[in-house]
Order: sequence, then C-alpha cells, then structure tokens
Amino acid sequence: MEYYKPKTAGEAVSLKTDSRMYIAGGTDLGVLLSEFMVQPEALIDLTGIDELCGVFKVDEGVAIGACTGISLIAESELLPACLVEGAKAIGSPQIRNMATIGGNICNASPCGDTLTPLVVLEAVFIIEGDSGERRVKIEDFFIGPKRTCMSPEEILKIIIIPSRSPDQKSGFRMIGKRNGQAISQVNAAVSAVITGGIIKDIRIAAGSVAPVPLRLKKTEDVVRGKALGSNFLERMKDTAEQEVSPISDVRAAEEYRRKVAGSLLESIFRAMRKEAV
Amino acid sequence: MEISFICNGRKRMAAISGETRALDLLREDLNLTGTKEGCGKGECGACTILLDGKPVSSCLLPAAKLDGRNVLTIEGLKGDGGKLHPIQQAFLDSGAVQCGFCTPGMILSTKALLDNNPAPSVSEVEVALSGNICRCTGYGKIVEAVLLAAERLQVKI
Repeated sequence: MEYYKPKTAGEAVSLKTDSRMYIAGGTDLGVLLSEFMVQPEALIDLTGIDELCGVFKVDEGVAIGACTGISLIAESELLPACLVEGAKAIGSPQIRNMATIGGNICNASPCGDTLTPLVVLEAVFIIEGDSGERRVKIEDFFIGPKRTCMSPEEILKIIIIPSRSPDQKSGFRMIGKRNGQAISQVNAAVSAVITGGIIKDIRIAAGSVAPVPLRLKKTEDVVRGKALGSNFLERMKDTAEQEVSPISDVRAAEEYRRKVAGSLLESIFRAMRKEAV
Repeated sequence: MEISFICNGRKRMAAISGETRALDLLREDLNLTGTKEGCGKGECGACTILLDGKPVSSCLLPAAKLDGRNVLTIEGLKGDGGKLHPIQQAFLDSGAVQCGFCTPGMILSTKALLDNNPAPSVSEVEVALSGNICRCTGYGKIVEAVLLAAERLQVKI
C-alpha cells in the first residue's frame, strides 16, 4: 500500500481516487484497516498540511484547522467551554493525542463528542474539492449515521466558530459506561446568552439520540426568555425526552437515552446557575 | 517507503508499506517486544509508546507517521548506570505488577504524566492512566506506584 503525505489541500484532492482513502489521526480508520473492513490501495495523510493545523482568531470568530489534535482542542483557551469539555470526553490520552477534530466530524458518528458542541455553536465548515472551496453550515452537513454531505474527494479544511456575545455561556455533559475510553451513550450541549439573569438566546443539542447530532428546537422554546433561576427544568426535561428520537442498541436502551438526555441538560443548567451566583 | 526516526535515542531507518502499523515495525523489525498488542483497537493501552513525549496507541498508528519523529518505548527507559528507572522501581516496590502485560504501557503513560506534572493529584493520575487497562491489580497499587514515583523523582531534583 502506498502512503502519500501531501503538503497542501489542493495536492491532497488531486491525489484522491476511488481506491485511495484520506487519513488524519487514524483512530477510527486504523481499526477498520486492521480488520480489513476497508482495503484502500493508498492512504493520503492530511496531517502534514500546515493550513489544516491550529486554532486561531479570525474576523468571523475562531477558526480551527481540521487536523488540529483533540488534545489541543481540550487545552485551548480560545474555544468555548462546551467544545473543550467535549474534546476532553473523547477516548483516552492516547486517542486524544492522535485523533483530530476533523476526523471526529467527518466520521459523523451520532455519538461524536465534539459534534453536539459544534451544533450549539452553529459551526460553519470550509470544504475543498475538485471544484474549489465551499462553505457548509453544520445543520446541513450530517445526513445520517456516518454520512455527510461531502463528496469522496472533498476535504474538510477549516471549522469556523462564529463570534460569541461576551455574555455567552456553554456547557457539555456525556454519560458512558466509565469516564475514560467510553463511547457516549448520550451527550448534550447548551450554548446560552444570559443577560441580567434572563436567558436571551439559547441553543440546545443532544448526541447519540438520533441518526445525526440533534438540535432540540422545541426544548429551546421552553427555555428561551426564562430567568435562569426560575422553575423551567421539569418542563424542559419533559420536552427534551419527547424531542429526541433514540434507538436501543448495544450501548443503551431507548427509554434510558430519553431520560438521560433530559437529566444531562438539567445538570448543565444547574451548573450555569451555580456559576451565576 | 523509507522512513527515518529516533527510537530510544538512536537513529533508525526502515522500509515500510502504507499499512504497516508502528506496533509491528517496533516488535517485528526492531525486536522491541516490550510494546505489547492487547486489543489491537486502541482501547487497552498495552501498545502505548511515547511519540514526541506524548502517549499514543501504536496499534492504530501507521508506521509512516513515525517519519522524522522521536519515539520512546519501554526499552528506552533506563535509570542511572543500567538500573531500573525510578518509575519502574516504584511499580515493583508498590506491588503494582502482576501479570505484567499492561505494565510497559502504564509506565510510559506515567512517564508522560510526570514529565509534564511532577506532583499530580490522584484524579490527575486516574485521567492520565484512563487509557491503560489492567485486568489483574484493580488499579489501587498502580496509582500508589505513580504517586511514589512522583515523590522519589521530586526528591532527586
């Protein structure tokens, strides 16, 4: 098998054929390769492309190169709390040192722990392919479990986190079988603008409860405009439990996932209340 | 393809294929069999090596990614005058080794932790070792060993 190390995104795209695969950190692809579930003729390693690495401020907000390591995301001071916490929840130190945020996104697993945060942050993706660059909003990116809107030759280059209000708070929770090295049975993220104790703007999402990371707009409607300290948690939980559409699988039962989605959101709001005091 | 990298302080060259795993290159070609294969899926940590000082799972790592990098395996961890490294000695003294299969990975994860954080708390030790599974000891003595190693290494400085 050949192994290519292109230096630019354009060079990587020009190397891509149907029988060659892109590789970033390799933490998901490595398992498929060793079990012969994929057998490409060549790997095209994207992690040597400088323009895909690093976290930096831009006019629109913060830009994250797709090959930035999960360990770096987990330590970043430029990024919102929910995304940092999501990155910390992934795998183990070994996996976080290898894995990239672009890999977590393009793998498109409904339980990806950076995806729910990126949904509430309304991330925008810059993608490059044969016909040049395009921008895709995260709400249009995921089309099913492990499926995205990208064509096979396209590369995710940059993730843009749009500028936030200084009053914006965010949080993330996940639950798995243990703390380290566990795949989320459910995860949840919240991004809120709280001014004078009132929740002015709210975005809520849950993962591993639907074919794609799910924005919970009905649940947001329950919360929007409420005082942070007021009594909305029970109604919010009931609405979230109805709004998610999980399945039962090897990791958790449907009913459990519904209940826990509500509980994780409650936990995030309780932490926001504590912080506000 | 040809790659060259530093392994345990020594320059190494190797001819590899794209699908060669770092684990197989180390064990089969360089005879560094201290690095173990457990699950082969990046879950157990028995194959942990340090790549530029950071723990990674060599079973998931294409050998091609070693090119130009610095690798430390358990064989490269030596104390003064051929003695055991203080981390290794602390694992023995604490009874943190039973079958020993997870030990090389545990010790390398510990090295990466203590290089960055010489006086970790118990919870920091637990996070640092969360990618290393032991089926014998129940972890209590391993955490004790890491804290003992930290103490001894600090005294040394």
